[in-house]
Amino acid sequence: MEFPYGRAALGIAVLTVLSAAALLASRERGPAVVVAGVPVASAKKPDLVFATFTKEHAAAYHAALPAFEAKHNCTVQIQVVDPRALQSRLQSAMQVGADVPDMVELQDGFLSYFIKGPLENVHMVDLTDRLRSSGIYDKVVVNRFSKWSRGGRVFALPHDVHPAMLAYRKDLVEQLGIDVNKLTTWEEFARVGRDIVQKHRNPDGSPMHYMIDLPADGENIIIMLGLQHGTGMFDADGNVTFDDEAYVDVICWYVKQIQGPTRTSFPAGWGQNLAKAMIDGLVLFYVCPDWRTMQFEMDVPKLKGKLALMPLPAWTPGGRRTSTWGATGLAFPKGGVSHNFDLAWELAVYLYFDEKQLGPRFLQTNILPPLTTAWSQPEFSAIDDFWGVSLGKTFVPLAKDVPPAPTNAFHFVAASKINKAFTKASEHYAAHGESGLRDVARRELHECAEEVRTAMRRNVFIQRELDRTQSTRPAATRVAE
Amino acid sequence: MRSAPPLATWTRARLAPYAFLLPYFLITAVFFLYPLIYATVLAFYQTDGPTRRMFVGLGNFKFILTDADFHKALWNTTVFTLCSIFIQLPLSLALAMLLNAKSDRLKGLFRLIIFAPNLVGQVFVGIVFTMLFTPKYGLFNKLLQSLIGWGLEQNWLFDPQLVMPAIVIASLWLYVGFNMIYFLAALQNVDQTLVEAARIDGAGPISIFLNVTMPAIAPVTTFVVVTSTINSFQLFELPFTLLQNSNNGYGPDNSGLTIVGYLYRFAFENGDLGSASAVGWLLTCIIFIASLVQIRIASRVGREQ
Repeated sequence: MEFPYGRAALGIAVLTVLSAAALLASRERGPAVVVAGVPVASAKKPDLVFATFTKEHAAAYHAALPAFEAKHNCTVQIQVVDPRALQSRLQSAMQVGADVPDMVELQDGFLSYFIKGPLENVHMVDLTDRLRSSGIYDKVVVNRFSKWSRGGRVFALPHDVHPAMLAYRKDLVEQLGIDVNKLTTWEEFARVGRDIVQKHRNPDGSPMHYMIDLPADGENIIIMLGLQHGTGMFDADGNVTFDDEAYVDVICWYVKQIQGPTRTSFPAGWGQNLAKAMIDGLVLFYVCPDWRTMQFEMDVPKLKGKLALMPLPAWTPGGRRTSTWGATGLAFPKGGVSHNFDLAWELAVYLYFDEKQLGPRFLQTNILPPLTTAWSQPEFSAIDDFWGVSLGKTFVPLAKDVPPAPTNAFHFVAASKINKAFTKASEHYAAHGESGLRDVARRELHECAEEVRTAMRRNVFIQRELDRTQSTRPAATRVAE
Repeated sequence: MRSAPPLATWTRARLAPYAFLLPYFLITAVFFLYPLIYATVLAFYQTDGPTRRMFVGLGNFKFILTDADFHKALWNTTVFTLCSIFIQLPLSLALAMLLNAKSDRLKGLFRLIIFAPNLVGQVFVGIVFTMLFTPKYGLFNKLLQSLIGWGLEQNWLFDPQLVMPAIVIASLWLYVGFNMIYFLAALQNVDQTLVEAARIDGAGPISIFLNVTMPAIAPVTTFVVVTSTINSFQLFELPFTLLQNSNNGYGPDNSGLTIVGYLYRFAFENGDLGSASAVGWLLTCIIFIASLVQIRIASRVGREQ
């Protein structure tokens, strides 16, 4: 018998039937569990699904999980997803109402993707009341909540403090006669840097050493330096604040370090390139929050004993000697796949705020937790083999000075505009030198800040919420304003 | 006299073509027509994800057309498109002509080598070139330094003046081979008797290329120019991965921001599918006009020849 429409059509029909049969057969073995676009590996649905963006965190949590699972008679699955993929999949899953993890670790700034609508429509559970009633709020470095809050409401638990210091090649710095104790301000740091770059040259005339590794586009470091100088991108009320004199100072100092006759820096970048630049002595200093200390321990063991840490130089004599760079927050998406928020909260408290967990984890990651009561654990006084000092004792005194870094829904818009203002100032410096630099930086920052304000005003959802808040406030309050 | 076919056979014969066409129509309706209509509607709304939206009329278009970032994206994309047409395509044609030479025994191997980068895709190329463009240590920088004594410390991906050249260089490596295949196929179909006749008439290589080869490959050239223009205006993954460490993937001062990058930022970073749809429609109009102009010019040139 011959198929009336030919062999090709028959082949397609057979393929269709077989595919359908295979799909049906796989369904009989139990429904596939997919959370935020990531298939859950085990056949049995876990009691909690926890997504994170870093395998180091996942490894630390894996070690702690068995005790929690035994105590609560449950299973927890930890998924490691690339940070951008995690953000976009989670956002898409939330938007279309697909399953989302019970808990998710977000990278610095990524909360902004989830808080663009009115407060009641934020897709993350509001943790403020639970944090206060449990007493955790008072035990945590309070400034760290600023990265995970909007309108005074907290939407994620802070994982870290990330005080920033400078790491440097101790052996080379001593050889070159640099006294790090005298590097107390950024101006002095730059002056010494210029001397080093100009005096020490290779046979081909290129600098033998650069004072510091600074990214050429400045973005993260400029924001970090702005915070150190007392200004964030936004204030606690969500207003744009980066068009002030502190940012002008930062941008003018920075552009002079990356180009021209005043150049002191080399953009070594990340990973192997930075490691190579440090091994070669091409770069003497680099900005080093707590999380970066472990990266060097892992990536460049041959530098053991050759690196040391010092506080950041201040913007003014006697000023703040630290800042913060990076953050991780633990959020609870509304309607998490297991619908068991209480169990998820228990796990979060166990992993983030159990003092017995935090000591060993500090040894594993070098990341200072924000729970102040944990810092008395012996692990925070232990000497680190690689650095030759107690990292806990080095970072803890700086933790109280870590500035707040308020975020809002327009975090990345603002970061992009700061980048634009910096680029314009940098182009001006390349063409005209220092003359008029401050005016250009001030004007560009102002224009860029206005662009962010325009973008914020354009968000009809937040505007409607603001209008509603204004109209429901007592008339006397409005008149007083 | 032939008897009429039974009714069932007649019905089956009439319906069979429609049955075969049905999957295509269904897929087109679900995955093309419905999204197209939905995107048209969405372009007049501001949205917070797909579930909440508010009518803003022409507000999205007004904002986009006056937004400095859109102007930047349009400029960047246009520059890239022009580079594609005026650098990439002549290079593809030149390579195709080299490979079309009969004497080369390694022709097949070279064809494979030049085409191979296209197999790995934009993301792979983007990631590889982030390493090649590293100041001091990058292979590309070292190569430039050894060839022309310049470039070792150039920061291709963080200097706004160098970002677009970097994207163009990476895209050359990726796409030259792809377009070369089209040109090679066209060159192999050029009527050799015309070439021989021109040669007998005393025409030199340049004259033969301009008066015989070019008119013969004109239809393919038009096709390649139009598809390159469309693909260039849709550029996104390459700069986004190449600039992953600079300004969230868009380069210093948005020097690597393309129109699709601008759309992506609205849709998947801001969650505003409405504004993203408006950008999509603007992009469609731009591509439509650019393609129409190119086809008109090509047909006019063809008539004159």
